[in-house]
Amino acid sequence: MTVIIGCGNLLRSDDGVGPMLIRRLWELGVPPGVRLADGGTAGMDVAFQIGDAKELILVDACQSGAAPGTVFELPGEEVETPPLENVNLHNFRWDHAIAMGRWLLKSRFPKKVTVFLIEAENLSPGFGLSSAVEEAKERLAQELLRRVGGKEIEA
Amino acid sequence: MNKTEVKNKMELKVHSLGRVEGDLDVKVVIEDGVVVDAWTEATMFRGFELILKGKDPQAGLIVTPRICGICGGSHLTKSVYALDTAWGTEVPPNATLIRNIAQAVETLQSVPRWFYALFAIGLTHQNYASSPLYEEVVRRWAPFTGEHYEIGVMLSAKPVEIYAIFGGQWPHSSFMVPGGVVSAPTLSDVTRSIAILEYFRENWLEKYMLGCSVERWLENKTWADIMAWLEEKREHRDSDLGLFIRYSMEIGLDKYGAGPGRYLAAGSFFHPQKYRFPTIEGRNAALISRSGVYDGKDYHDFDQARIREDHTYSFYRGGGAFHPFEGVTEPLDPMEAKKEGKYTFAKAPRYDIPGIGETPLEVGPLARQVIAGRTGAEDWQDYDPLFLNVINEIGPSTMVRVLARLHEEVKYYLRVKEWLRQIDLNEKFYVKPNELPEGRGFGATEAARGALADWISIKDGKIENYQVITPTAWNIGPRDRHGQRGPIETAMIGTPVKNPEDPVELAHIAQGYDSCLVCTVHAYDAKTHKELAKYEVTNMMAGI
Repeated sequence: MTVIIGCGNLLRSDDGVGPMLIRRLWELGVPPGVRLADGGTAGMDVAFQIGDAKELILVDACQSGAAPGTVFELPGEEVETPPLENVNLHNFRWDHAIAMGRWLLKSRFPKKVTVFLIEAENLSPGFGLSSAVEEAKERLAQELLRRVGGKEIEA
Repeated sequence: MNKTEVKNKMELKVHSLGRVEGDLDVKVVIEDGVVVDAWTEATMFRGFELILKGKDPQAGLIVTPRICGICGGSHLTKSVYALDTAWGTEVPPNATLIRNIAQAVETLQSVPRWFYALFAIGLTHQNYASSPLYEEVVRRWAPFTGEHYEIGVMLSAKPVEIYAIFGGQWPHSSFMVPGGVVSAPTLSDVTRSIAILEYFRENWLEKYMLGCSVERWLENKTWADIMAWLEEKREHRDSDLGLFIRYSMEIGLDKYGAGPGRYLAAGSFFHPQKYRFPTIEGRNAALISRSGVYDGKDYHDFDQARIREDHTYSFYRGGGAFHPFEGVTEPLDPMEAKKEGKYTFAKAPRYDIPGIGETPLEVGPLARQVIAGRTGAEDWQDYDPLFLNVINEIGPSTMVRVLARLHEEVKYYLRVKEWLRQIDLNEKFYVKPNELPEGRGFGATEAARGALADWISIKDGKIENYQVITPTAWNIGPRDRHGQRGPIETAMIGTPVKNPEDPVELAHIAQGYDSCLVCTVHAYDAKTHKELAKYEVTNMMAGI
């Protein structure tokens, strides 16, 4: 079982790309054995949504200063999780979710973890993605489908 | 804020950190070790009302559950009732039952998660190391390593599994729609939900929280009953609830954080037959957990028409107090607005009590439980005298506020079980409504942390005005045009702070209200402006 979790706030423009990507994957259809989850701004529940998955793919928006729409891929072994004692349950991010998931699930935590971050252009209150991020969402949706063995569909 | 150059007087600043949600600063002035004044300052503009203007009337069902990462179901509940009343829909009994269940299981989830992952962590603070119970408190409640911390956090995920069975997902579901719910549960959905609920009771609620059956706990009708319950059995004393009460009284949580002593509940959960045709006027008479206002002496019927939002001290154009249907949200540049003496983005919700006038009121579990003590309930409504007795006997405090929250967990468990049994799988869950192009609606519920309500005006098939009043606004709102402080501002005053370099007492108050904000306390020496302390008040809530 692979679980793909999209995080972010739909009310903050490009920050909503995670949940929107999940919706797009759902429309396109994923093969059996792949579970989709809209993590939204749920914080700790992102960790609960990992469930019994063997592989975890997390998608979130980021603001690193790169060109908007840039997609970063962070392999699990490169992902440093912060010390749990400093996790602030309000300011919960994908890295905290991984740390929380490791603590909650212990040996059942997925062996493989991949994090995709999409560079945001606009994080102001409002709906909808900027064109660069919309395009990155499509690209990543296709890429994820290819990786999990689903059929590719013309965007 | 003016730095006060008085000896032994210092100012603490509770500063915020939030990312996608409202931020909060609480400034506190301490004199001779006691808080003498407080100001709550929301530093971020919350623009949901502006986002909704001009949108499809049903946009509130999508937008408002995203206001918050933990109360999404509560937002959905009140926004759907706002539309039901605006459109004059018919809501079949099954849909009311499922809405009740969804609202209640979200709160069932919130209570253990809030207690273990937020509130109880503060109780392990080294300030209390000399308490004889300290070692046990740390063993159970220390974050990530405490034995009951892990159990409580894990089990907190169970109740919302029931939400997901009916609502597709939790949080951020939009499965409640005008005229009902979009779900078609089967018998196995219902039996699975009952099994999850029983698992939750057996493996946490009774085993760890109460140390007794839910029925035994609910026999407690007075503070004296609770004291007798503690003495009755070792299991009671040693339960998390028993330990919490004993420890609180030892470290003084029962001595501060009283708040305004006046309360408001918007009420929640509808009788399935009595709210088939939801109206604003018919709402009070259909509520299982009743609405109401308690002014410290007398009870008053709740009337949404008496609610005002005062923005005299808020970063919005002009001043005065308006009903939400007349609400204006014209934000100002905080730097400019501060010159007029304004200090926050939060408005100050007030209730115009007959004969008293606009009054700041506390909302939340304690408020609900005080309102539940009003006599004259129908036999199907919640009547519970416990917390009216408790505040009369020992007065409100941070301990009492926490106790009210834990008490509700027991009551909600029983209600959900009953509602699950009442679902008639052969009957309707939805009746298609007429989407009227004009109308006004009001929908309200009780999120875990208090009264939550929407007002919607629809014109030409679009949202003309949308106003949300959250429990956090009620509790963290600022002063008003009459100079009255908001509830948390009031609750801070009089608090003894043992160590101004680490004012954990203020964190207990803020966390006791569970206002949905992240705060950091910066303590500055009034004379030297040297930063003395930095203290984070974390909260898992996201934005209501």
